[in-house]
Amino acid sequence: MQEKEIYILLADDDEDDRLFFTDALDELKIKTKVKTFNDGVALMNYLNDKSNLLPSILFLDLNMPKKSGVECLSEIKKDDYFKDIAIAIYSTSASEADIEDTFVLGANIYIKKPNDYKKLKKTLSNIVTINWQYDTSNLNKDNFLLRL
Amino acid sequence: MTSRKILNFTFSLSFSIIVVVGIFSYTHIKDLIKSYDKVSHTFKIITELNKTHHYLTAAENNLKEYLIFNNNIEEPFYKNIQKLDNSFTRLKALTENDSTHQQKLKELNILIPKLLVFYNKTLKSLKEGELNPTKFNLAFIKNKKIEAIRYEISNIIRYEEKILNFQKEKSYNGLINTPIIIYVILIITLIIVLYTYFRTSKNLKKLESKNESLEIFKTASDQAEIACKHGNWSLFLDDLRYEFSDNLYRLLGEKPQSFAPTSENFMAFVHPKDLKKLRKQIKMMLVAKNLPPVYYRIIKKNGEISHFKTFGKIITNKYGGTKILGTTRDITEEIDHYKLLEERNRTLERKNKELNSFNHVASHDLQEPLRKIQTFISRLEDKETDNLSEKGLQYLLKIKNSATRMRALINDLLHFSKVTKPKEVLELTDMNIALEKANKELEELITEKQAIITADKIPIITAIPFQVEQLFINLISNSLKYSKDDTVPNISISYSKVKAINYSKIKNPKFKYYHKLTFKDNGIGFNKAYAEKIFALFNRLHSRGEYSGTGIGLSICKKIVDNHQGYIFAEGEVNKGATFEIFFPKIKN
Repeated sequence: MQEKEIYILLADDDEDDRLFFTDALDELKIKTKVKTFNDGVALMNYLNDKSNLLPSILFLDLNMPKKSGVECLSEIKKDDYFKDIAIAIYSTSASEADIEDTFVLGANIYIKKPNDYKKLKKTLSNIVTINWQYDTSNLNKDNFLLRL
Repeated sequence: MTSRKILNFTFSLSFSIIVVVGIFSYTHIKDLIKSYDKVSHTFKIITELNKTHHYLTAAENNLKEYLIFNNNIEEPFYKNIQKLDNSFTRLKALTENDSTHQQKLKELNILIPKLLVFYNKTLKSLKEGELNPTKFNLAFIKNKKIEAIRYEISNIIRYEEKILNFQKEKSYNGLINTPIIIYVILIITLIIVLYTYFRTSKNLKKLESKNESLEIFKTASDQAEIACKHGNWSLFLDDLRYEFSDNLYRLLGEKPQSFAPTSENFMAFVHPKDLKKLRKQIKMMLVAKNLPPVYYRIIKKNGEISHFKTFGKIITNKYGGTKILGTTRDITEEIDHYKLLEERNRTLERKNKELNSFNHVASHDLQEPLRKIQTFISRLEDKETDNLSEKGLQYLLKIKNSATRMRALINDLLHFSKVTKPKEVLELTDMNIALEKANKELEELITEKQAIITADKIPIITAIPFQVEQLFINLISNSLKYSKDDTVPNISISYSKVKAINYSKIKNPKFKYYHKLTFKDNGIGFNKAYAEKIFALFNRLHSRGEYSGTGIGLSICKKIVDNHQGYIFAEGEVNKGATFEIFFPKIKN
């Protein structure tokens, strides 16, 4: 087991989804610290504040008020300061266009929100335990969309 | 030869024949007159000769009478001598121009005066009574001059008769041939005249019937102009004169030929905003001798606006005259229809867009709450099963099933809306890979059912890859879904290239060859009566209790095949299996 806790951020406007997310992570046997945001603007404010710690993984919902996930993604990828953050798209839909767009912008993985709590736990467990430093090297479009 | 040439030829032939006949007849008749003149001349000569002879004899008889009866014959004697002299003078006059006659008369010319001298001497002797009949007779017998004269006269007469005979023979030949020649010529002329008559009347008949059909054609063309709302006009390039057809006036809302057909009079009707454009086109037409279609509006006297389309083409006729033949069409109705159609198209497009976005939004936004319901159900199952009564657990299961079904419906609808999207790009698609992908997608179900799937090698086909994949998924999952519980599902996929004409099922094929894919299973099959119905949207052959299904899957298949301009047919037999035949057009690249 890991000694150091993994710092995870989630930006999602849906309260229920945030609840599922934090509950599922809590139930994992992995030490994690989770912080959630209601919209893209809140997320970017937090990230841009240099006094705040940067997360290892950022889960990004696409459909958010004020600032969408895609906008956040492109802002983050533009700034070299955030280069170590692994970004997982976390969305209800998995339309070809969304997958294509976010892949091109440089997201690390695309997760379609599971409709089963057990599956959600399994998914999060998989994502959190990936060693992103190594894994980004064989990034390709075929394994971009997470399949379980 | 044209009939005009024939006419010219026969005319000149008849003309020359008649001229020849005229000349021939004229000379012939002239010859006859000449010969008649000669004959009468000869007769005159003969008459005068006879007269000369007669008076000679009469004078001699006078002398004899004097001798015998001693009658005073002095007066008649001198009369006869005078007459003889006259006759001979006439004879000389008649033969003035004829050297042969002159020659012959020379002898008489000498003999006759000598004889007269003898007569006078004899008369004197008689008067003096010196002569008795014996002496008289002796003197006459001794005098050979009388005989010589008689001989000469008869000689000349014989000569004249010979001439007469020769002349007679000559003119006889001419006379006997004349009627035949004239008759033959008349017959020939008659034949020519008859031929010309029949020829001309035939041509006239032809002309009349042509005229009649032309008349009919004109009426038909007039009617066509009215029916098709177009009018014709001609511009004669030699004198820049216009001609308008009746219907062109009608198109302008005017009575036929109610004003002079000039460019200016026509321009008076043209919409002021289109006037410049039309004038420019007309000007260019005069240079280019051609008028490409030009569109403009006109305003009728009652204020009605019509849309016109005009175009023209140069035409050169046989006689070298050139004109521009133009057609002007009233396209108001077409434009109105076009506008209406455009409007409808726009509405349809908008509606389609709305429907698509509705479909998309509905499917996507419906997923959100559904996913939560399902997640909560799974959390209940995970954590709260111990706290629920048996009834509660049952209800939970029912909620779960309903939610699952709802998800299936939403997913299928999403797929359906995806394949309804127009303008997907066709590309060369490896069908074997598409099939592999489909099998992978259904891996779980295939393993669960232990199904056996066999497939021929399928060539590369021009298609939309993701749609083909969806098609295979739907067909295979359909076979797996409706498999028999007690039999291992067996799905065979076969391929062949076929000719469209060999399949009567293919109605109005656009392509000659098709790729035929056949999916055959050993499932529960279906009643043949439903072979077409099963492709209809939301159509299900089984109750939900027996088989799960949304009634969209095969509709998606049909949609995909339609997108490829292909055909899909289903065949089935209850409890034996179902066969799906798919025809993809073979598109030449």
